[in-house]
Amino acid sequence: MGEVEEKAVLEKVGNVVASINGSKHVDQVISAVYSLAALLFPLETLSFIGSISEKYRDEVRSVEALSENQTKEWWKVFYKGAAFPALARVLLYDVASDWLVCFPISARKNVYDVFFVKGRMTEVVQAIVPCLQNRGSTSYDTSAVYSNAERLLVLCLVENDGAFQMVKEFNFQCESEELTGDKLKQAISMLAQLVTSIPDKARPGISSALSSHLFFKSITTQLLSGAEEWDKNLPDGVDSCNKIYTHDTIVFIGEIVARICRRGSADVLLSELIPRVLCQARNFLSGTANVSVNKTFELKPGLRFWSRVIEEIKDSYAVERLSEQLLHQLAAQNTNDIEAYWILWILFHRSYENQPLIRSMFVDKFLLWKVFPICCLRWILHFAILECSPDNTLLTKAYHAHRLVETMQRLVSVWSKREFVQSSRLEQQAYVTAALGLCLEKMSKEDLDATKDAIHSILQGVSCRLESPDHLVRKMASSVALVFSKVVDPQNPLYLDDNCHDETIDWEFKPTMSDRSSVAKSHHKDEEADKVKGLDMAKEANGVDDADMGKKVKGRKQKLLEFKLVDPDEVIDPAALNGELISDGEGDDFGSEDSDSLSDTSLEPYDLTDDDADLKRKFSQLVDVVGALRKSDDVDGVEGALNVAEKLVRASPDELKYVASDLARTLVQVRCSDFTVEGEEESAEEKRQKALVALIVTCPLESLEALHTLLYSATVDVSQRIMILDVMTGAAQELASMKFLKPEYQPRNLISSVSDKPWFIPRNIGPPGASSWKEISTPGTLLNWSYSYERELPPRPGQIQRGKTRRWSLQSSVNENQLEQSQNQFPQYAAAFMLPAMLGFDKKRHGVDLLGRDFIVLGKLIFMLGVCIKSAAMHPEASVLASPLLDMLRVREISHHIEPYVRRSVLFAASCILVAIHPTHVASALMAGNTEIPRGLEWIRTWAHDIAESDTDRECYMLAMTCLQLHSELALQTSRALESTEGTFGTETLGLPSALASGMIKIPRV
Amino acid sequence: MLQWQALRWKAIKEEEDYRMSKRPPPDPVAVLRGHRASVMDVCFHPSKNILFSGAADGELRIWDSVQRRTISSALVHNAAHGIIGLAASPLIGDDKVVSQGRDGTVKYWDIGDGDLSRNPLVTIKTNSYHFCKLSLVKKFAFGPCQTGVPENCQDAEGGETTFQGNQMESIEDSEQVKGPKYVAVSGEQSSVVELWDLASAEKFLQLPHLSSGLPNTTTKARGMCMALQAFLSPESQGYLNVLTGYEDGSMAWWDVRNPGVPMNSVKFHKEPVLSLCIDGACSGGISGAADEKLVFFSLDYQLGSALVKKEITLERPGIAGTSIRPDGKIAAFAGWDHRVRVYNYRKGIALAILKYHHATCNTVSFSADSKLLASSSEDTTVAMWELYPPQTVT
Repeated sequence: MGEVEEKAVLEKVGNVVASINGSKHVDQVISAVYSLAALLFPLETLSFIGSISEKYRDEVRSVEALSENQTKEWWKVFYKGAAFPALARVLLYDVASDWLVCFPISARKNVYDVFFVKGRMTEVVQAIVPCLQNRGSTSYDTSAVYSNAERLLVLCLVENDGAFQMVKEFNFQCESEELTGDKLKQAISMLAQLVTSIPDKARPGISSALSSHLFFKSITTQLLSGAEEWDKNLPDGVDSCNKIYTHDTIVFIGEIVARICRRGSADVLLSELIPRVLCQARNFLSGTANVSVNKTFELKPGLRFWSRVIEEIKDSYAVERLSEQLLHQLAAQNTNDIEAYWILWILFHRSYENQPLIRSMFVDKFLLWKVFPICCLRWILHFAILECSPDNTLLTKAYHAHRLVETMQRLVSVWSKREFVQSSRLEQQAYVTAALGLCLEKMSKEDLDATKDAIHSILQGVSCRLESPDHLVRKMASSVALVFSKVVDPQNPLYLDDNCHDETIDWEFKPTMSDRSSVAKSHHKDEEADKVKGLDMAKEANGVDDADMGKKVKGRKQKLLEFKLVDPDEVIDPAALNGELISDGEGDDFGSEDSDSLSDTSLEPYDLTDDDADLKRKFSQLVDVVGALRKSDDVDGVEGALNVAEKLVRASPDELKYVASDLARTLVQVRCSDFTVEGEEESAEEKRQKALVALIVTCPLESLEALHTLLYSATVDVSQRIMILDVMTGAAQELASMKFLKPEYQPRNLISSVSDKPWFIPRNIGPPGASSWKEISTPGTLLNWSYSYERELPPRPGQIQRGKTRRWSLQSSVNENQLEQSQNQFPQYAAAFMLPAMLGFDKKRHGVDLLGRDFIVLGKLIFMLGVCIKSAAMHPEASVLASPLLDMLRVREISHHIEPYVRRSVLFAASCILVAIHPTHVASALMAGNTEIPRGLEWIRTWAHDIAESDTDRECYMLAMTCLQLHSELALQTSRALESTEGTFGTETLGLPSALASGMIKIPRV
Repeated sequence: MLQWQALRWKAIKEEEDYRMSKRPPPDPVAVLRGHRASVMDVCFHPSKNILFSGAADGELRIWDSVQRRTISSALVHNAAHGIIGLAASPLIGDDKVVSQGRDGTVKYWDIGDGDLSRNPLVTIKTNSYHFCKLSLVKKFAFGPCQTGVPENCQDAEGGETTFQGNQMESIEDSEQVKGPKYVAVSGEQSSVVELWDLASAEKFLQLPHLSSGLPNTTTKARGMCMALQAFLSPESQGYLNVLTGYEDGSMAWWDVRNPGVPMNSVKFHKEPVLSLCIDGACSGGISGAADEKLVFFSLDYQLGSALVKKEITLERPGIAGTSIRPDGKIAAFAGWDHRVRVYNYRKGIALAILKYHHATCNTVSFSADSKLLASSSEDTTVAMWELYPPQTVT
């Protein structure tokens, strides 16, 4: 490379710049620029010559081109040195702002654009991109400069495959480049930075080609084809493990990929990338047997660069984004297991081997912290842990048993922790459970035996899940237990759940999860519509739904089976259809056959259906019912007794008071599952509960006493305790909405007043609008023995008129006037419901540990108390009972209970209190200086605030928000009540501590 | 083609089934009320439209089965013990009826003018206090082997056995039927069956015959005799045969010529056999027991064999009474489950489940003309049913 040329180039550039600066006319500029362009590029005919004025045509024509070699030399020198940046600056700023609009199109293309389009792309980009951000300088027409720069970028990078050219330039560069090592790396990363920053710098809405989506798409396509070309040109025999051999091209692509990912366009990148890899992998897989596919993949040109590119991405965050997106997209495209595995392998195998960060990403992060679809989980396991393709059935032991065991242990240690069950999201739990299950499925008994503590942890994890109130969590436990038992003893699988008897376990846990969310959604809608009603726990609804659904599915399956049994092609024997007996012939030895068969046809059977409804023992006395329920060996008796129990109790006979406690006790202790056939337990259970509810409703005091004793006694189990609480809840609700007939009170004179009318003329009572009485004349008879009167009556609402008149006798019935009225019967019994139940919750006795193991009972108990206080809402009893309930809720073990289930109940109860207390009561408490209730309410506010801010459980959060809202409403009502009393009495008469008023009732921010 | 026909068959059959299955079981045509205690037994008069019923309080009622009214009523047995069995048969005389009480007596009554005589003709003191109903001798009425009847059975030959459906047995002249006026009852010792002559009130024989050898241990091991049926088989040359059912569920077939050991003994049931009935041709019968099974069996005198033809398992145990209609077409079973079940006797196909009674059914009985079925129950009623009336030949 001669110094001479460099000098000449610089001198020429200097001249051109000077003439541009000095020019007065656009043609002058064109001819100046052209004089340089002609030296650098092989320009053909002067197509633009016609569009410039005569004056400069000669000038243009006089420029003589150099020889081809010289042109090349000049080009190199021009772009390598300082010449291009200097000229580019003038072109991009001065010319663009002053002259470019006047350029004829052909001139712009041939003379102006050519410097950039045919230039060295790496330099061109470095020159153009800074134009986009130079916002400080005001000497130029900035918008012209910007739009020109954007136009050029689109022209160079998008339309003319600039990125592809850059890759190519790097290819050549490596052979003859003085820049080495870090400096080069820096330059590359700077360049990548520039390229990827273009969409950010471009003004939005000006050019769609520069929007990040399209731009990155195009860049990616170019880069990838560039890389493929590079890969094909790579000399064979290059050691793939040679670490020194990292090419600038690869570095550059890696940088760009990393930056694209960082800028959040990994999806765009992948939408280009996946089809390419997939296509290549497919081509390849279809052609080869699976012996040593790894090796072949590694040597195959066109596939080698992938893993190198990924390896070159030093930004681990970018890799993570990339791989996450990759997994999600593959899952969305329903890629099959083998292809997905190979795609992962092609992309990541080098970095997985060489970079511990990437390895931990796959093994830790993707298994424990992220949530992917289940198919992705399988791929991850195959790629990162088993390290064998899913189709690798021949070599079952080809995977790394050691790594598998290690991973399994890590999963188990997380999975089995109680805290994990209590505090992590359900999706996360399902994912980790699935990971564990899939690991276990791959393990053998020996592997498992090698890890003693794993077995223990699995059992622990299963048992702590089995007692969860959530159906889904229990299902996870039973699935893991099933897999575990299959590993330990394949012949004897352990089914903890009746519903799953399939050979393959569905690790998805999905349908129920969507169901759950829908339930939750509707639940929240309810809350908005009717805050209090909506507060019912989604949990319960959920559980029931799941169980129902399980049954339905089961039933459906059975039906399907039965359906299949009917073979449409079955050959039917007409004789068999006729219902003849095989033994018929020999026994039928009297009479002539013909006459018999003739007469026998007359013996058509009647309907033979039979039920045993009439055979059931009929109970008419409660004492008999109690007796029958105690005889647990007489199955029919117990069933019959249960069937009639509710009716008999509702009839409320006189002796009910005396048998109530006995009956309550026996009803609780009946074991429904003992005497019912499978599938009917629920109806029996329902009858039992209904009977108990009826009992509490008709005879509250006696039965509640018995039930409360049972609730905390050691003789009942958890399910019975829950049942007791359920029936109490039901009874409280029923009492609160009691309906009964009440005759309408009609004032009637017992003694008729003396009047001028004879006694036998009916009085003028009756509905309004009735006409006056008229005597009915009976024609034909002279003597009238009885007096009959009639009158017109207006029709009653809803009455269909059939006749013309209605005749009423003197004694008219008033039964129709009875009205259905409802009245809350609950408050008088509220104390009997609540106080005994609140007594013993924190005592730990034999078999009773509400705060710890039996937390479900605790949750139910609090729920029941909440329903109770709500049922007594707005009655004075509610205000009285609210403070002991608040005291109970405020106990730290309850309000900050570790189980979300309990916290939900507490939130529910707290909201119920807020609904139940009458604002005037709060107001009067405030005025009387009684701080108990206001303090409790204030505690609810702060505590709900805490929960809303920090709780992990979503439902808790929602409930807490509702709670805060209710609190603010109560506060508002209370302050109104206070105002009104102040208005009446005047402030000075009240010894109201103002600090108390302002301090205790705050309207929270919601 | 074959398949197509089969499908057509199936369609027709299904349609038929559908139509038939819609037919609800019939209700009783009449209910006879009047008894004040569980009606233990009913039987029709062999030729007149008369029904006898006996209750657990000792009351014997005579009903007009056409008018459905009580003709007369009398306390014929001790009220504390009551009647357990009633029987009427052409063999013992036209206007006679035998009643058995749990007071240890069997009484032989004359109902000359539709009313009971004040005192019974004969009173037999059997001293047995159990539940086994007595049995009169059942004489074969018709059958395929009429031609080969031995000489002792000329009575059967002499009487024209017609197929007109009714009064098959009543035509026989009284002289000829005089001979075997026997009644079989379970004896003082409850595992033994005793045969008494009604005319002389003398014990004629007991089975197993104690004097004929050692006291039979095998019979004792069977437990109490619970059901009885005495009959004259066409092939037995006029000698009585008795079929007995025992407490352990076994049945024995005795021939009076060999009272020591039964001809055959079989065990069809697991629980005590409660009732037995032999068809008119004496070639088969049915049995009901305290278990869930109904057994249709066949008897072959030549081989001395009793074989199960069909066994039907019910959902609820206990059959207290059985009866085969004289024309041998249908059979009825009185169940502890308050139902009367009707079966096609020859094929063993279920025909109807009759629900009316609301307590245990004790007996079923068909009228001699096959038109009526009477069932008695613990609910103190007697229900009369008309099922599959026989076609009258005009």
